[in-house]
Amino acid sequence: MYNDLHAIKEALREESEKASSLQDIQDIRVKYLGKKGLLTAQLKYLGSIPKEQRPEFGSLLNETKKYIEALLDRQEGTFKSAELNRSLQTQQIDITVPGCFTPCGHHHPITKVLDEIVSIFISLGFTVEEGPEVELDFYNFEALNFPKDHPARDMQDTFFISDDVVLRTHTSSVQVRTMEKNTPPLRVIAPGKVYRCDADVTHIPMFHQLEGFMVDKHIRMSDLKGVLQLFIHRVFGRDTSVRFRPSFFPFTEPSAEIDISCVICKGSGCNVCKGTGWLEILGAGMINPRVYEMAGYDPDLYTGFAFGMGIERVAMLKYGIDDIRLFPENDKRFLEQF
Amino acid sequence: MKASYNWLRDFVDTNIPPRELAHKLTMAGFEVEAVEETEEDAIFDIGITPNRPDCLSIRGIAREISAILEIPFKDLSTKIDKEEGEGPVVLIDTPALCPRYSSRIVYGVKPGPSPEWLSKRLESCGIRSSINIVDVTNYLLLEIGQPMHAFDLDNLEGKKIVVKEADNTGTFTTLDNEERRLSKGMLLIWDVIKPVAVAGVMGGQSTEVTSGTVNILLESAYFNPSSVRRTSKSLNLSSESSYRFERGVDLEAVTVALDRAAQMIAEIAGGKITGMTDVYPGRYAPRKIAVAFNKINSVIGVDIEESVIRKTLLNLGFKIEGEVDFITVTPPSYRNDVETDIDIIEEVARLYGYDKIPATLPVMQMRPAPEHKTQELLKTLKESMVQSGFLEVINFSFMNPDLLDKLNLPLDDRRRNLIYIRNPLRKEDAAMRTTIVPALLNNISFNLNRGEKMLALFEISNVYLPSTRKLPDETIQMAAVYHKGPISSIWQSKHEGFYDLKGALENIFAKLNISDVSFIRDAPVVPYLHPGKSGVILINNEKIGHIGVLHPLVAEAFDIKGDITVAEIYNVANILKAIPSKVTYVSLPRYPYIERDAAVVVHDDVTVSSVKEEILRVESDIIEAVNLFDIYKGKPLPSNKKNLAFSIRYRSASRTLTDSEVDKLHSEIIRRLQINLDAELRT
Repeated sequence: MYNDLHAIKEALREESEKASSLQDIQDIRVKYLGKKGLLTAQLKYLGSIPKEQRPEFGSLLNETKKYIEALLDRQEGTFKSAELNRSLQTQQIDITVPGCFTPCGHHHPITKVLDEIVSIFISLGFTVEEGPEVELDFYNFEALNFPKDHPARDMQDTFFISDDVVLRTHTSSVQVRTMEKNTPPLRVIAPGKVYRCDADVTHIPMFHQLEGFMVDKHIRMSDLKGVLQLFIHRVFGRDTSVRFRPSFFPFTEPSAEIDISCVICKGSGCNVCKGTGWLEILGAGMINPRVYEMAGYDPDLYTGFAFGMGIERVAMLKYGIDDIRLFPENDKRFLEQF
Repeated sequence: MKASYNWLRDFVDTNIPPRELAHKLTMAGFEVEAVEETEEDAIFDIGITPNRPDCLSIRGIAREISAILEIPFKDLSTKIDKEEGEGPVVLIDTPALCPRYSSRIVYGVKPGPSPEWLSKRLESCGIRSSINIVDVTNYLLLEIGQPMHAFDLDNLEGKKIVVKEADNTGTFTTLDNEERRLSKGMLLIWDVIKPVAVAGVMGGQSTEVTSGTVNILLESAYFNPSSVRRTSKSLNLSSESSYRFERGVDLEAVTVALDRAAQMIAEIAGGKITGMTDVYPGRYAPRKIAVAFNKINSVIGVDIEESVIRKTLLNLGFKIEGEVDFITVTPPSYRNDVETDIDIIEEVARLYGYDKIPATLPVMQMRPAPEHKTQELLKTLKESMVQSGFLEVINFSFMNPDLLDKLNLPLDDRRRNLIYIRNPLRKEDAAMRTTIVPALLNNISFNLNRGEKMLALFEISNVYLPSTRKLPDETIQMAAVYHKGPISSIWQSKHEGFYDLKGALENIFAKLNISDVSFIRDAPVVPYLHPGKSGVILINNEKIGHIGVLHPLVAEAFDIKGDITVAEIYNVANILKAIPSKVTYVSLPRYPYIERDAAVVVHDDVTVSSVKEEILRVESDIIEAVNLFDIYKGKPLPSNKKNLAFSIRYRSASRTLTDSEVDKLHSEIIRRLQINLDAELRT
């Protein structure tokens, strides 16, 4: 009987080696393990052998069954994967057909640059304030120390709605509005649209600005330098040189204009910087005590700084855009580049 | 202001190379925009800020150079060699508008061309040479910054000067041969009967100095800056004189210029100079400004020594009194911009050099930033539209009122209630926009004309509507347009563009967890939309916007061909208030669902949402979702019918459903659709 089991194993090995398809394996499985299979037939002998030999024979029988099953499973696996491979080979797609995607939209470059600048100042603890675009002459000029009939008003060509209502010429109009509503310390930025009655190759009548200001006890002009230098290095890179030079704005004193080393020629002189190596990027200064008086702050108690920049200008330098008129034109081929 | 290097060197002894000087001036607040070097001279083009009228002159810039380079300033000579007789009679009627008027007569001049050195200097600084007498007055305008005028004495009735306002609204012919309309309040120079000059702006033709002039009356005066500016603005006439008077000339230099001019004229054109008349009712009062050394340093953030501060101010011509800690500073008469201690601080910082100020970071008190819900919403809206494939555009806030006609808006539409700009650049930009839509339609037609296809654009911007307050209402509006164009990609879906735009909006609401959104046919929505392909957008039953295919006639008016859909959200604040304040988790289902399809043929008028509502009207708590998965029109259905195929998902929260109970409910639903919506089952 032991020999029979051995013979069955041998026969199976031989047979399975000859199998050439999944069907052959199935047939072999039936032949050996089926109800009337060769191994199943051996079970019948179990009753006829001496009691003491039964456990040994039983376990041998089991072992043989496991051996057969494992062998056949392995064979079956091989045939199955070969068959799957064959069928996958026939299911080809053309992978050179372009992919299916929703065409991606784009933010306007002004939004992109503005968002970037706003987030830099928010990371420094500034908060965003807003003011109306159609603004009272008071907030746009008077409160910022531009008296009526003063030539400083010529610095900004103004659109008038009425005698005392204008389209704001700068986001600085948000300064006194914010001061009236809050007490120092203040760290504020005010982004938005501004208007100048001016249109030519380098000017558009509506553009974007960002105003920033900080008011507290003991704010120094050196702090203005530090904050703006940090900002410029974030936007244009750490290797950008920054230059502060004296200038004039009615609402700051001392006032400064801030130049950066030309982003195109890195300071050696080109037609973008008109050969100077410098590009003007910001106006700034220490807030004029007269502005505090207008806002009802004690000018002896507080100092602070303010700065303003044109967003189109920053975007042009950042992306190398050479015509400001592209911004309001909204040409798809332009917008898709950002 | 153009300034000649050689002329500047009349006042300061220096050989500093012009380019180096230009850099130093720029870094001291006088931006040199260009340096034009020739063999014998260099011309600086300097931007003079409005606070520094004293530097609208060679002498003023030279004073700055002396302070910057710390070298002595050599002032000019104003000695008159010989004077005889009395000066002219001058009467000032309005001393507030004319605090000083000085004059001399020069008898027996010989008008003619100027010597070469004189005309060269004028021309190098941008003023054309004319006859010698006029050239001398212009020379002093450039050199001292004092505008002057020469009258032909023999054409001055009564040989007298009267300074008074215009009393009527007559006309006056200025030197440039233009007839000017005068109005009350303008300050004029008169003889005994007629006006002879617009004070500080321009002289008159009738008393102009010509080649035949023999005797002249020289004017050197100070006119009130605001008055000159108002007159110049209302006449729309600006001159080198008015530019300087508006900003304020040096009260104390009025006679300096007069004397120098008289002497130069006598030297160049001959003649006898009379004595001086100097009517000076508004005498200059020097200001004394107290400033503390420690404030100077604390505002700038530096530690400059007292001696350096003193020296800087002295170099600028300021007088200093006081010893320790505090000083009292008296600025010179030409520095009308220096009024308070902060102005002194600026002077110190400017000459100390901004580049020497360190860069520090302020010490700040922590403060929570206020919430910016609107800002965040705008960001989400933009982000969502961009993800849906839309390009953000930013148009001007101006609008051509004619565009409202193109939109076919009725005359009483509130969007016709426009705010106008008094001084627009173009008639087309005369009004502030009350709707974003026309600009977007123009963007579409602009891009179509450039051969672009598949245009999906949106803008989020203010619109401006009149209010009862002084300032208009500024409302943030969102609008989007979608022009699908011809099929340009194999994946482009073939359905109407309307549904692409609607989907982009639905995406926004889903992202913001706003669930109660509906799109309702409510014709007529707006006259510029297709009446059959438009509707309103409701959130919580409140109308917040509309969407629809552009009316074909409006599309034609905007030169747009093809299927174009427009959506508008009237005020993004309405979206903001609909955002749920909190989101609550709903536990995940524990039991499986069973799905059944319901395909019904209904009349074309029956909307998908009405079928859905009918399905949900069945009383049952096991209908989880109803999804439309197909719409079919065409053969073999009659032309007024369509087939709608829904998949209904049934699920109980408390048990596993049986097929038989679902089948029962599903047949009940079908039966209701058949009865209530006249639906037929698709066979």
